Amino acid sequence: MATAPYNYSYIFKYIIIGDMGVGKSCLLHQFTEKKFMADCPHTIGVEFGTRIIEVSGQKIKLQIWDTAGQERFRAVTRSYYRGAAGALMVYDITRRSTYNHLSSWLTDARNLTNPNTVIILIGNKADLEAQRDVTYEEAKQFAEENDLMVTIGELLRKEDAFLEAAKKIYQNIQDGSLDLNAAESGVQHKPSAPQGGRLTSEPQPQREGCGC
Amino acid sequence: KRYVRKGVPLEHRARVWMVLSGAQAQMDQNPGYYHQLLQGERNPRLEDAIRTDLNRTFPDNVKFRKTTDPCLQRTLYNVLLAYGHHNQGVGYCQGMNFIAGYLILITNNEEESFWLLDALVGRILPDYYSPAMLGLKTDQEVLGELVRVKLPAVGALMERLGVLWTLLVSRWFICLFVDILPVETVLRIWDCLFNEGSKIIFRVALTLIKQHQELILEATSVPDICDKFKQITKGSFVMECHTFMQKIFSEPGSLSMATVAKLRESCRARLLAQG
Repeated sequence: MATAPYNYSYIFKYIIIGDMGVGKSCLLHQFTEKKFMADCPHTIGVEFGTRIIEVSGQKIKLQIWDTAGQERFRAVTRSYYRGAAGALMVYDITRRSTYNHLSSWLTDARNLTNPNTVIILIGNKADLEAQRDVTYEEAKQFAEENDLMVTIGELLRKEDAFLEAAKKIYQNIQDGSLDLNAAESGVQHKPSAPQGGRLTSEPQPQREGCGC
Repeated sequence: KRYVRKGVPLEHRARVWMVLSGAQAQMDQNPGYYHQLLQGERNPRLEDAIRTDLNRTFPDNVKFRKTTDPCLQRTLYNVLLAYGHHNQGVGYCQGMNFIAGYLILITNNEEESFWLLDALVGRILPDYYSPAMLGLKTDQEVLGELVRVKLPAVGALMERLGVLWTLLVSRWFICLFVDILPVETVLRIWDCLFNEGSKIIFRVALTLIKQHQELILEATSVPDICDKFKQITKGSFVMECHTFMQKIFSEPGSLSMATVAKLRESCRARLLAQG
């Protein structure tokens, strides 16, 4: 049968980071299951979810790793940063402490991922306007000062954060700034056209994720 | 031991756990201590962390719902706060909320839950919850060693995929199987945990892996193996808690505390050397 071996052409690895209780798991759940869940159980260690999206006509499978937010879990979750093409850094607009900790999350992300990793800032719980503790302007300024590759405002649909990061990563692939052959690029190419037959260099079943 | 392995009847469970774990003795020797802990000066960071998880602890259980009166969230908060004051080296670690929640449901008693939590976190489990989580990391390595020896095919697959045990079993260790295995099975495991100590966790883990070895070996990628490890904690095998409990003492073969202690020592040294 002429079925393609994969129904997507790329796999992008993402990580979601940020303090405990900012809504990382809800964000993931909402994106992968397309429905909102108010009291997501909190993540212990690392969990993951996937969803296939489309960017410029290319099907891309996002493989999203959700990490526990409590500081001590960093001891066990840091190894998952390696080889991430995108990092979603989340804070809670109603709790300033979660915003204040962003720089330490950013340091971890910068130190443990590669220079091309697209980092996106997400201000979560924007529906709780009355309890707002962090203004949109200051978050935007923080993103600009830290040269986060894409900034997604809290007001946009959360789904957009995942898509915007993918667009940026895809663009980096297209303009050659992201080398797919580099170790830990966080991107795998899956040639989906079966016509190439044996000549198509099919990557081995992925050895990805956690560099140990 | 045989009596406990066959399961403690629910109505006696709280008492049996209290006695077996030494929690009763501690409580008797320290009258009033629990209440003092709740009256002392409070640590706002600790309170914040505990509060963040209250709504996320058994949200499906009506007794833990905010709108219920009396609501067990308050009890849970007190137990965790008292524990954080009592054991400042640990404070509060995510996962302890689930354990304390089960203790509260079984004992129906705040103070007893506190002392049982202390028995688990302070004595039975080796340093799972402190900020460095060294005991947790060690035990995950120990499990890896045991798998390599007892189930070499799975060990080889893990190596080939380059997957860390942390990814697959953190929850098993941290939550002591709460919300992973069915309630009755978890309680039966805890009966033995209070009586025989932390090596029971390895028995359960090894049994789950051995029983589903073929399924696990089908995995071709990291996400794949994550899925398999979720699947193996569901289904009739873990629902039938009597058979399951028999299996954990037969399937993994011998597992002496001396073996576990030796492995812990070498794995711990290796982790410390890695920095």
